[in-house]
Amino acid sequence: MPNFPKIVQVRKSWDTAILVLLLTVLILASLTTEGFLTALNFSYIFSNTSEITIIAFAMLFMIIMGEIDLSVASILALGSAMLGWSYAKGAPIWLSILICILVGTLCGLINGFLVTKLGLGSLAVTIGTLALYRGVANGILGENTVNEFPEFWTSFGFDTIGTSFMPKTLPLIIFFGIMFGILLHRTPFGRRTLAIGQSPEAARFAGVNIIRHKMIVFTFTGFMSGIAGVVYTFRFSTAQADNGVGIELLVISAILLGGVSIFGGIGTMWGVVAGVLLAGSVESWLTLREINAQWRTIVTGLLLLLSVAAPVLVQKSRNRRERKALKS
Amino acid sequence: MNLLGRLKPKSREGSLAIILLVAIGGTGLINNRFLTGDGTRDLLASTSVVALLAIGIAPIVIMRHIDLSIASTVGLSAWFVADMSAKNPDFTWVQCFIVGPIIGVLVGILNGLLVAGLRLPSLVVTLGTLYIVRGLVYVISNSVDYNAQEMPTSLIDDLGQKVFFGLLPLTFSLVVIIMIIMALYMKYTQAGRDCYAIGSNPPAAELVGLKVFRRTFLAFVFSGFMAGLAGVFYLMRFAQVDSTAFYGQELAVVAAVVIGGVTIFGGSGTVVGAVIGALLVQTIQGGLAALGVDAFWKSAINGLLLIIAIYADRVLAVRSEKQLLGQRIKERN
Repeated sequence: MPNFPKIVQVRKSWDTAILVLLLTVLILASLTTEGFLTALNFSYIFSNTSEITIIAFAMLFMIIMGEIDLSVASILALGSAMLGWSYAKGAPIWLSILICILVGTLCGLINGFLVTKLGLGSLAVTIGTLALYRGVANGILGENTVNEFPEFWTSFGFDTIGTSFMPKTLPLIIFFGIMFGILLHRTPFGRRTLAIGQSPEAARFAGVNIIRHKMIVFTFTGFMSGIAGVVYTFRFSTAQADNGVGIELLVISAILLGGVSIFGGIGTMWGVVAGVLLAGSVESWLTLREINAQWRTIVTGLLLLLSVAAPVLVQKSRNRRERKALKS
Repeated sequence: MNLLGRLKPKSREGSLAIILLVAIGGTGLINNRFLTGDGTRDLLASTSVVALLAIGIAPIVIMRHIDLSIASTVGLSAWFVADMSAKNPDFTWVQCFIVGPIIGVLVGILNGLLVAGLRLPSLVVTLGTLYIVRGLVYVISNSVDYNAQEMPTSLIDDLGQKVFFGLLPLTFSLVVIIMIIMALYMKYTQAGRDCYAIGSNPPAAELVGLKVFRRTFLAFVFSGFMAGLAGVFYLMRFAQVDSTAFYGQELAVVAAVVIGGVTIFGGSGTVVGAVIGALLVQTIQGGLAALGVDAFWKSAINGLLLIIAIYADRVLAVRSEKQLLGQRIKERN
């Protein structure tokens, strides 16, 4: 493929573009808005994006592999509902947390089973399980909410470490970030993920066990959604069935903003981190400028469109320039 | 051939219709209010909006694309029509039926340009427009909502309540007419056949010179148009609207279309199937409610239905592939 190096170049430049964009937003926001460049605000940004970041680490592998999981927010809700339900029924808190994470992993396993063993399309299946898991959460909790949790755990959700600006959840996120970063960029598992995304056929001929690989990725996406369920529950100190509605779209748009190709095969961990931070900073900027929450829905949509359109437009203009250069 | 074999329906639509009748009959046996004139009328009336949308996105799904922005478009159209008729007392149903679809078409043009023009993945694009359009509803509505008093009586009372023969609501008969026109269009025109060709193999369709851009673009405009129209139908059905109208219902429509036998991988399925799928989903929902199942489980049942439909689709596809292969081997020997 003669075109191949060109695509990689554009992707690389989009990776850098996102960093420049992030810096621009940070600088502009700090200059124009009082209270943006404060420790407290950054603490908010980190803490508001915690579930999105946690899920995004796993979803990154999913999208690189050319699959998608739209059910993550519902897994979060089902985990959270189970956590609240079992705790309200008298289970010790550690058991409830364990249940939440296990339920998440199980949901991921079910997704993986449907996609790999039954050979169904991940997009359609996870639209189905999105409704299914959320529905089960609804069935378990109904309109009830559980919001009496031990203070130790709720403070883990929204307090900062000592007097610093770091939320208590930050070390957890950094830990997962490093783990998944190493997994993607420094291990055979990561290389295989990229290979499957580039060309599943070629990967299969090269001896990659695609079914097992996809199964693992679906399962740990469920696991991470379960973890996000725990964080969400304690951050808002509430377990209810409509926890985290629509988060799947925020996760996907943050990942695409980070330069990961929706067609699979291309993506980096630091791109995703930049994407999440960009989305979080824009959100916080809008909040501080007291721009209506309603406008933020529009901004999310625009960011998502921008994230897919920008690389294509860059490529198109580059092609045109090259054609002109060839002509002259 | 034995009698049973002859009775076996030839088409996917046939088997779906049988499942539908069994579902209706079964529920009717247990709860006899379900089968009365009231029950049927209610079922048909509440299916109208989803059925319209299913007709709208069927060509898109057949072309291996998807449109998730439809539910937001329904909300925008419904709110806008209600708002305009509240501010202009001389609005009648005619203006409503003009304004709603125009709004839908505008959204459709945006989707079409991004998907067909820039060749962006339709899933991501329509996720984006889902947000943008819903955000617009939030912003322009400013938390104002409208009730029946503020809407034209010619739309809500005269047309919305009109029922033929005590059974068939006007809205659903319009759906049937549109369905028939679209079914004929998809089956007998060049453009309709092109949709199937594009969906079965997009690169090949391009190579043989089909107008991929135009077909894709127009399919999104059509889906937008239907969503705009569905917004007006929404008002006729519910006679009230707020900024969250029809929120999150896009997946129910996708489920209806897939259950109706339109493959999510493109290239097969019919508009008639999509409408039957919508009826089936609504019947099962209504049936479970009639049987006393808690409404909280509604979404779980929807999801389960969708997964079963996708699985059935997959099994059928594998089986027919094997049959074709067997035939070819036989011919060769």
